[in-house]
Amino acid sequence: MKKFRVFLTLLLVFGLIFGMFVGCGEQKQEQSQGQEQKAEMVLRYNLGTEPETLDPAKATGVPEMTVMLHTFDGLTRLDRDGKPQPAVAESWEVKDNGKTYIFHLRKDVKWSDGQPVTAHDFEFAWKRALSPEIASEYAYQLYYIKNGEKYNTGEITDPNEVGVKALDDYTLQVELEQPAPYFLSLVAFPTLYPLPEHVLKAHPEWPKGIDKDPSLYVTNGPFVLAEWSHHDKLVLKKNPNYFDKDKVKLDKLVFYMVEDANTAVQMFENGEVDMIDNIPTAQIDQWKGKPEFHIDPILGTYYILVNVGSDKTMGGEKNPLQDVRVRKAIAMAINRSVITDKILKAGQQPAYAFVPPGIPDAEPGTDFRQVGGNYFSEDVQKAKELLAEAGYPDGKGFPKLIYLYNTSEGHKKIGEAIQSMLKENLGIEMELQNQEWKVYLQSRNEGQFDLARAGWLGDYVDPMTFLDMFVSTSGNNDTGWSNPQYDELIEKAKYETDNAKRVQYMHEAEKILMEDMPIIPLYFYTNPRLVKTYVKNYAAISLGWVDFKEAYIQK
Amino acid sequence: MSMDIRVEELKDKSLWEPIPESEKMGAEALTAPQVTFWGDVWRRFRKNRLAVIGLVLLVIILLFALVGPLVSPYPYDKQDYNAILEPPNFAHPFGTDYVGRDLFTRVMYGARISLAVGFLAAMVQLVIGVLYGGISGFMGGKVDEIMMRIVDIMYAIPILLIVILLMVVLGPGLVNIFLALGFFYWLGMARIVRSQILTLKEEEFVLAARVLGASTKRLLLRHLIPNAMGPVIVTVTLNIPNAIFTEAFLSYIGLGVSAPMASLGSLASDGVEYIRTAPWLMLFPALTIALIALAFNFVGDGLRDSLDPRLRR
Repeated sequence: MKKFRVFLTLLLVFGLIFGMFVGCGEQKQEQSQGQEQKAEMVLRYNLGTEPETLDPAKATGVPEMTVMLHTFDGLTRLDRDGKPQPAVAESWEVKDNGKTYIFHLRKDVKWSDGQPVTAHDFEFAWKRALSPEIASEYAYQLYYIKNGEKYNTGEITDPNEVGVKALDDYTLQVELEQPAPYFLSLVAFPTLYPLPEHVLKAHPEWPKGIDKDPSLYVTNGPFVLAEWSHHDKLVLKKNPNYFDKDKVKLDKLVFYMVEDANTAVQMFENGEVDMIDNIPTAQIDQWKGKPEFHIDPILGTYYILVNVGSDKTMGGEKNPLQDVRVRKAIAMAINRSVITDKILKAGQQPAYAFVPPGIPDAEPGTDFRQVGGNYFSEDVQKAKELLAEAGYPDGKGFPKLIYLYNTSEGHKKIGEAIQSMLKENLGIEMELQNQEWKVYLQSRNEGQFDLARAGWLGDYVDPMTFLDMFVSTSGNNDTGWSNPQYDELIEKAKYETDNAKRVQYMHEAEKILMEDMPIIPLYFYTNPRLVKTYVKNYAAISLGWVDFKEAYIQK
Repeated sequence: MSMDIRVEELKDKSLWEPIPESEKMGAEALTAPQVTFWGDVWRRFRKNRLAVIGLVLLVIILLFALVGPLVSPYPYDKQDYNAILEPPNFAHPFGTDYVGRDLFTRVMYGARISLAVGFLAAMVQLVIGVLYGGISGFMGGKVDEIMMRIVDIMYAIPILLIVILLMVVLGPGLVNIFLALGFFYWLGMARIVRSQILTLKEEEFVLAARVLGASTKRLLLRHLIPNAMGPVIVTVTLNIPNAIFTEAFLSYIGLGVSAPMASLGSLASDGVEYIRTAPWLMLFPALTIALIALAFNFVGDGLRDSLDPRLRR
């Protein structure tokens, strides 16, 4: 009797397990059948998270940008090399040594409700993004426009003083505070998209309510919003009113919002999604060499922020990190290739400077990073000497450092590796402290750390997007470091009209940054992706997002 | 006259002999070998196969956790970048992790923490829980009322909240978990002891002791608590795996030890990511937690059955 019961139990267990596998198989079949029935061309991509807002003025994250990239068209649109190409603007003139831009708009561009897109829509949208009531976090992207910053900060209240003006329905004039050679890339950025003034006038709360009534999301891009079910998926369908619709081959774009990277990979394997970013490092090895695995470039640097200012975290003791020799010793004692090749394994490049490769230098065809070269090298012996010179031979008397990171497996691994390297090479003890993203940002801001991991992704393809972060007045400069010479060089570069000189200033600025070392670069990011082989002609832009405008599926 | 005859017979010394002087004292002793209460418990415990397995397992785990790290050739935080994610082999019986640390050593250290947590939980229960419950039950009335309401209130506070609050004040670390566990783990015990004392103090032997003038302290420590010891020991052994699980859970969600120290929970949490590519990272810590909990549960079950035969079915 007892034996029989054991047998029954086993049978049940096996039945359950078997059932699980069978169930999975069936699901797959159903799906592929469903796809064959509707001849619609659908591409499914994992956004990774729920977009916070689809208001171009307010959005800040890559997921939001990705959605809006497909629903809107700016004056220009970045091609797969990150170069601005004409979009709503068919041509432009640059006057006043690069301080005035006149954009000539296409006359056949329509909003998804059939209304024409005019220069007034741009003027309206930009002023709205700058207005203090909207409080856009990305308003600084419009600070290049004359009086943009003043209007945003409330120094002037009359929006008509802002240097953007519709001369007629199809001519837009933009005056800049200072020449900005990357302004044409900037106008491709979501914050500078046009907005349908007639819709926003009728719905001042726009884009509130677009999840219930997607047709309210009136846009001018290759796709329009069809469905938004929160924390599940967002469906875009082809825009029949799009001026360039012949190039758009997809009927539907489905953006999933799966946050867990492991689940996303599972979905990819099951064929429930065609493309995912953010592969867990644990699984990189498994995918390497397979045709689905792509390593796309992305403009970004992973670095350690050094608290060179306050003595707060040291409990009133002198902060040894104020000594540049200590900072250099730490930078030299970290073995970067271990981090990139053994831990991350997705083709990241060890960084010995701050600005990542992929940004053109003054001479055509050259790269800012290659011209600038490396500013330091790894040398444990030298690092030990520097630390001894600073008064801490073999780390004796060196206080325990706090290494702050935002909660993530990847950051933890890197932190653990650095912890062990510093202990072994320099005798410096380090404590790892992880915090949730928002708490982490606050701690960083308040200087509650000794070392903190940080990463920066470029907003446009120019060294300036990296370098202007560390001027004394920058809100992103959490190091407490300030160098008037650096500030001056950045300021000069911003006003310089001669591109060769401008780039030269930026090289000099980067040199100062690396000599003072308030930040310790670790590696340059890459963007590993899994893409089904039947997904063709998508454009992975080095600012982090993918453009599916001309993508198609070929099975 | 028959009576007389019998008396006559008795007087006949040839028919009987007196017992020797040396045997006189044990005249009333039982013929079977004498068995104390604990001896009886041990006898019953030995008969329970699962309980013995649990006990053996426990000894092995203790050796593993306490002696293991001393003989292991690898320190728990030694990273070897040439041996990253090695599957279990002779050099690394449990394999290595994502920075090339020996998982076997790390699991041993993790088991140490788990056992330390179990020990702490036991101590807290035995010292605070037993005394608190004993006093509450013995005093009765208003004192009992107030003391039990305090316990009720503390019961209502989630341990997770306390750990997070402690982390804000003290910063992350194992101390938080120890404090939080110490703060909470005597509550259940206090209730059990109180209910035991409530029944025991009405018994006649307590009345007798009272009549003989025993002090409150003597009554509690010599008469009441020793008599409540059975349920107490069972509760302790069955609560230890609970505490170990709680620690593992808190470490799993990142509230426990800070790297590079490892606890079984944080090891399992690190391993989850690798469940498909390097399953041993998850498997061994999880298995160890399970084994420790299982061992304590077996022993606890065995003790319950042998301490209180009435509970046996």
